[in-house]
Amino acid sequence: MTAHTSVIGTDFPVRDARDRVTGSIRFVLDHAVPDMAHARLVTSQLPHARIRSIDTDAATAMPGVVTVVTGADLVDRDGLDPYFGDQRADQPAIAIDKVRHVGEPVAVVVADSAATAREAALRVVVDYDPLDHVVDAEEALELGAPTLHDAHPGNDCGAWGLHRGDVDAALADADHVYRGTWTTPPGSHVPMEPHVCIARWEDEAHDGRTGNGDDRGHGGRSLHVWSAAQSPHAVRTALSGMFGLPEDDVRVEVGNLGGAYGAKGQVKIEPLVACAALVAGRPVRLELDRDEVFFTIGRHAAVVRLTTGMDAQGHIVARDVDVVYNAGAYAVTSPGATRQALVRAPGPYRLANVRLRSRAAYTNTVPTGPFRGAMTAQVCFAYESQLDDIAADLGIDPVELRRRNLLREGDVFATGEELEDVHFTSLLDDAATAIGWDEPLPATAPGRVRGRGLGIMLKSTITPSRTEVRLAVDTAGRIRLDSSSVEMGQGVTATLVQLVADWLEVDPDLVDVPAPDTARTPFDTTTSSSRTTFSAGAAVRDAIAALRDELAALAAGQWGCDRDDVEVDGGTVMRRADPASAVTWAELVAASGRDEVLVDGVFQSRDELDSTDPMDVHGRATVHWHQGAAAVEVEVDVETGRVTVERAHGNCWAGRVVSPLRVRQQNQGCIVFGLGPALFEQVVYEGGQFTNPNLSEYLLPSILDVPRDLTSSALEGGPDSELHGVGEMALPGLAPAIANALFHATGARVRDLPLTPERVLRALREAGATPDRATGTIPERASDPAGTGAGDPTTMGGASAHA
Amino acid sequence: MPDPEVATTKVRFDLNGSVAAVDAPIGQPLLTTLREGLGIRSARGTCGVGVCGTCTVLVDGRAASACLLMTQQVDGREVVTSEGLVGDHGELDEVQDAFLGANAFQCSFCIPAMVLTVRAHLDEHPDADAEDVREALAGNLCRCGSYPEILAAVDELVAARAADDVAARAADDAAVDREDPR
Repeated sequence: MTAHTSVIGTDFPVRDARDRVTGSIRFVLDHAVPDMAHARLVTSQLPHARIRSIDTDAATAMPGVVTVVTGADLVDRDGLDPYFGDQRADQPAIAIDKVRHVGEPVAVVVADSAATAREAALRVVVDYDPLDHVVDAEEALELGAPTLHDAHPGNDCGAWGLHRGDVDAALADADHVYRGTWTTPPGSHVPMEPHVCIARWEDEAHDGRTGNGDDRGHGGRSLHVWSAAQSPHAVRTALSGMFGLPEDDVRVEVGNLGGAYGAKGQVKIEPLVACAALVAGRPVRLELDRDEVFFTIGRHAAVVRLTTGMDAQGHIVARDVDVVYNAGAYAVTSPGATRQALVRAPGPYRLANVRLRSRAAYTNTVPTGPFRGAMTAQVCFAYESQLDDIAADLGIDPVELRRRNLLREGDVFATGEELEDVHFTSLLDDAATAIGWDEPLPATAPGRVRGRGLGIMLKSTITPSRTEVRLAVDTAGRIRLDSSSVEMGQGVTATLVQLVADWLEVDPDLVDVPAPDTARTPFDTTTSSSRTTFSAGAAVRDAIAALRDELAALAAGQWGCDRDDVEVDGGTVMRRADPASAVTWAELVAASGRDEVLVDGVFQSRDELDSTDPMDVHGRATVHWHQGAAAVEVEVDVETGRVTVERAHGNCWAGRVVSPLRVRQQNQGCIVFGLGPALFEQVVYEGGQFTNPNLSEYLLPSILDVPRDLTSSALEGGPDSELHGVGEMALPGLAPAIANALFHATGARVRDLPLTPERVLRALREAGATPDRATGTIPERASDPAGTGAGDPTTMGGASAHA
Repeated sequence: MPDPEVATTKVRFDLNGSVAAVDAPIGQPLLTTLREGLGIRSARGTCGVGVCGTCTVLVDGRAASACLLMTQQVDGREVVTSEGLVGDHGELDEVQDAFLGANAFQCSFCIPAMVLTVRAHLDEHPDADAEDVREALAGNLCRCGSYPEILAAVDELVAARAADDVAARAADDAAVDREDPR
């Protein structure tokens, strides 16, 4: 046996790297099954309306059309509950009786070919009775607003609060009190691969039982689904509930995902496709058009009202945060996500007095769900922007002000929990150093000014959650890890190979990690919330301990010795007393007469917030806190209001890094992805219409937007540090970092995302920082960083560059 | 599967070095023809309006959006997809090689199209520098944010080509010297 070389901490490549470059990897998009029919959606053109009738005759009459399915086909159908939802079963697979947002599926045309289905969908005529609609979340919470769901009066889609200390008294005693409102518009994830799903009803149960008639529902058949989904078991649970099937009779397979960022979490089009396949009596495939992807899921818009009290020494003495999230037309995760949002709202600061409120409202807009940096970017934009306003007002350097207030090891958080593994000051220092915080700003062309800014955040991860894995060794000595963690380019398959190989001390080439398939791979809550490296890692560790035990017991049985006398090494077992007794795992398994030795591993986080009183949420919010920061240097064109990010740095607390490459890709990916929501991405509703569901008008960052100088760092502990997921850490801080850099450069403060040229110009005018039309010169204000007075020694060192 | 109601025409074109002959419904996007009829998977639809670049193919050597081209428009022309850049014995094109070496991919949905865009640009502009190629890639979107690695791949490739050029020119000069001893 050769000495084992650790692969944790190396840039171990994903196995299909070559296929990813040539294009031969397979997505669900590429999957097909025999006799498959194709679906096309008919979607609502109204934001809120009763459905009077749907005329499907002309569509149905077209040659090649199999059927047209509407909500009416789903109600009263034996054994089918047409509603689904992660936390509230409020969403119909296809609209029933009424529509609640533009783009909601009203009918599904199933045809022999996709082209025929598309043509026929144009011939479906829907007659509506329009209802009053509401787009804005705060309006939706007002008395008399249109109600979306009778079961949820007042459009309540989650409301949580907590109060620690005495905020009112502390604000009354504070030397300075700052109030502001920050907004984030609705957004869209825009994975390049659209949602795509195939559903097939099968006569044979997935465990090999044959159908035994109606007693198992739907003619004794089982349901087989291929879907581009981040949470295959959530899809299984939902479909099992809707169709009254045992979970084992629903099989969900997931291949490589062409991007997700939260868009493919929970359950999306699978119920609709499964219903269509049931009615059509054929396997059905649906691939969404781009506008339909926009209509399926989006990011929560938010209004954040933030009040912060300061003492004269620059310490935060009290903070009050009130956040209203726009849930869209269906709950998806909003009721629970607003509770997660609550604990993400105060920011990574010591707060003896803190009051938080987090609510979500149903509106007639696209349903929302977790979006990279979920329920964190919205609040981080507020608290990190406000902190720079405070710094300017108090004449304290923004980095120094943060340093005085950031959470430290052992501090008590808003939830009452004592914090451990806290690294905010290190992240702050890293971000400031990387961006050259104290260095002079470079010279700029006339009409351009530069500034620097940063933002730091804390984020909980989904808690509680569960991940199971299975680990097998076969008679060839190959090792297979069955895991339902979904590969979407973040490299989870390579990470899992690394962990298994490293901890088992075997050659990584011996380790296989097949794609998720709920018929074979065990339960996992979801691949999201930056939880997988940590939770799947913990499950793998558990499985490895079990495998060593199992192999030792097997050897002890074969050798007739005590299992404590057996030593399990990387790839071999031997009797301690007799090195010559060593046999390989392959030989051991073969001698046992079994095909493979199989063990289970489990991670289950048990901590949970206590929200018995939803207005007094407390307890432990997360298995561990995600921590990260972003810092930028921007150049502002004061004539056009255009902001260009010239330099950017993203960082995260990574605990123990499994792959430096993949951490860097996540940090840099956060920065690149985050440029869109910060600078130009927004869904625009007018009169309840979603006006820009396409990539011509909903702009994504291109390669030309990438900062010329883009860096990343991963802060690590020792070899015993916890593993951390790192998919979102640098993102929430980016938008406030850019807004703060704009403020630093010009004194202009924009409190609404995105930072469009129009908004920047308006803010420049308000700050008196637009160029003099006659002379073309920029007024003094624009060269006074952060408006703090260039003479103050605590202001940023870059100040002199503009003077 | 052609719809019986829809008129089709016969379209013949060169696809990755072989003849492709299809009965294509009039107006059917080339992307549909490639994916559904001809087994091409590397060109992928995303935006449907020619702005994201993931369906890029080369038509007579130039990058084009297969979602916007009608199949009939490539009749008699030469179409290359990412599959066609790979040699008979699995050799990668230099652009593919550069992307692989720089780990220039995450979900990878957009990557083959990026490779083709770079290929076309370098073929049309053999002396292009990294900045030119960066501009050429402005129409290929990557949502994962793999642009930094893609830029690194381009930098590496352009530098390697320039070095090869210098070496080739030196070799040419040496050959000329030998032919012409003056």
